[in-house]
Amino acid sequence: MSRRQPRSLSYAKALCAGASLWFAAQCVQAADVSQRWVSAGGSVSEWIVELGGQSHLVAVDTTSQHPASLEQLPKIGYQRQLSAEGILALGPDLLVGTEEMGPPPVLEQLRRASVRVEVLSSEASLNALEQNLNQLGAWLGDPEQARQRFAAFSGDLQKLSTRLASNKDEAPKVLLLVGGAGDRPLVAGSDTVGAWLLAQAGAKNLATHTGYKPLSNEMLVGLNPSFIVIADRRANGPAAAQAFIAQNPGLANSRAAKEKHLLPLDATLLVGGLGPRLPAAAEALANTFHPSLASTAAQQP
Amino acid sequence: MTARLQAKPLLLGLGVLMLISILVSLTLGPLNLALADTLSALAHLAGLPVDANEQALLVIGQIRLPRTLLGIAVGAVLAITGVATQALFRNPLADPGLIGVSTGAALGAAFAICLGGMAAPLWFQPYLLSICAFAGGLGVTAVVYRLGSRNGQTRVGIMLLAGIAITAMAAALIGLLGYLADDATLRQLTSWNLGSLNGASYARLWPLLLIALGVAAWLPRRAAALNALLLGESEARHLGIEVERLKAELVLCTALGVGAAVAAAGLIGFVGLVVPHLLRLLAGPDHRLLLPASLLGGASLLLLADTLARMLLTPAELPLGIVTALLGAPFFLYLLIRRGI
Repeated sequence: MSRRQPRSLSYAKALCAGASLWFAAQCVQAADVSQRWVSAGGSVSEWIVELGGQSHLVAVDTTSQHPASLEQLPKIGYQRQLSAEGILALGPDLLVGTEEMGPPPVLEQLRRASVRVEVLSSEASLNALEQNLNQLGAWLGDPEQARQRFAAFSGDLQKLSTRLASNKDEAPKVLLLVGGAGDRPLVAGSDTVGAWLLAQAGAKNLATHTGYKPLSNEMLVGLNPSFIVIADRRANGPAAAQAFIAQNPGLANSRAAKEKHLLPLDATLLVGGLGPRLPAAAEALANTFHPSLASTAAQQP
Repeated sequence: MTARLQAKPLLLGLGVLMLISILVSLTLGPLNLALADTLSALAHLAGLPVDANEQALLVIGQIRLPRTLLGIAVGAVLAITGVATQALFRNPLADPGLIGVSTGAALGAAFAICLGGMAAPLWFQPYLLSICAFAGGLGVTAVVYRLGSRNGQTRVGIMLLAGIAITAMAAALIGLLGYLADDATLRQLTSWNLGSLNGASYARLWPLLLIALGVAAWLPRRAAALNALLLGESEARHLGIEVERLKAELVLCTALGVGAAVAAAGLIGFVGLVVPHLLRLLAGPDHRLLLPASLLGGASLLLLADTLARMLLTPAELPLGIVTALLGAPFFLYLLIRRGI
């Protein structure tokens, strides 16, 4: 691949020049700035940028929408429908994504074409995140920064949970919906980033199923949540919540709607495991769920 | 077009078209390979003592060649079984989907996609989808065929209606599975329904190739009988054709062929309908010409459509079913309007 596209040759590659392509791909060092990466999965791409690896990225998948700087990169399509040749044409050394990445035969073809394919975990847990960040840190040649970033991430969450623990409020009953006005919204159940986020923010998730599934409006009304968090891919801000209620008049009588507790959430937060912006999002949600918490937060320096 | 094309020039032209399509499919792709590299890689793969660029060898050998072979097999099988269904129903607008094979395969696939993950052992997972799709296609077709048969006689009118009813039921079940599925599974289901040759590998290729060869070898042997069937069932019987047996063969060939094609590549619309119809407009209804012409035409259309699917959105890829329908439908409409049918 390097033969086709002349780039600044690294020493590692120069050493390998005579060897086979396979050997070349294996001996490229992690810190090598000429490494070309393709990333699939919103959070994975976000962490790569966060850890200073954006210069490596030559393309991302369509779920990688944040930060905005990723928008200029070529898009390799949806992470589950990758195309082997399309990715090979970018001449990447590494394809990194989560286990949501596929289809498997395409990953197999890429491996055979000596692209290193690395699969991180998309599980919504701190353990999985720590491992992911350690890996990314090692590949980027800066494991220390990755460790610090993880410590900051879990530290922020720890602080939030301490504050929540000292708070005597009852955890509000909440539903998190993905999808906008006019859709059948999908409700975040257990094992999702959405449910993890609600738990961190000190809320009780009313949904009992696993994964993202549609619930009928009648069910939603019956559950009578005190807050509805709406992650809409198209509309953001209060307009999204208004439009949602306009389309689902049954919900207008729910507690959440009456008390105007419809909270818009950036849908890009929920894709591909825990992303770097989640502690801030959890804190913002927690302050809304627990008004008394917000005042204590204001007193802190 | 009032004058029909002669057999030899038509087949020759289609043969050349198919060779060009194969070459296009092997040389064009998101990855720019020089024609010389492609040819030397092909020669190397064929066992000739030619040195080939390692990257070209890999891309051609592991990605484009299996994909091209899959495209040929799928396109040829869909088009030729399209001819068989049209002969069976004696209606040029019939489609292999009418006997339920496509929807049956889609139902099998939906089962595999939505529920397969829990039940099947890990080593079996990669094949689960294809096997379920193939079994679903055969199973639903068998039901439709049984419903259309009474006292050793198959009435295609009844079969047609049974096909419509069973198709509606299968579609409802697919809808139910989709409704129960989560977001990611739903997305997989949708993309499977649009078909793709992406990720073709030799392991998935050979069952379809065997069936394709079998169907492509068998149907042309029955060309004369199909011509007789065009006159009507009783006329064909008077001409000494075993009509019931012929109908069973047509259903079996279609179920096997389309089932295997759909299992390997997902649902790809329009090839089975448009290619035979198009060639019938060009060359007339003689099956001795129509069958081989459709085989060549179907394979060519699919390969060209797949090349577009790969190239249009690089580095991403379009589902093939979208491209075949977008290419096929306007051309078909144009012919209809021009011929004033």
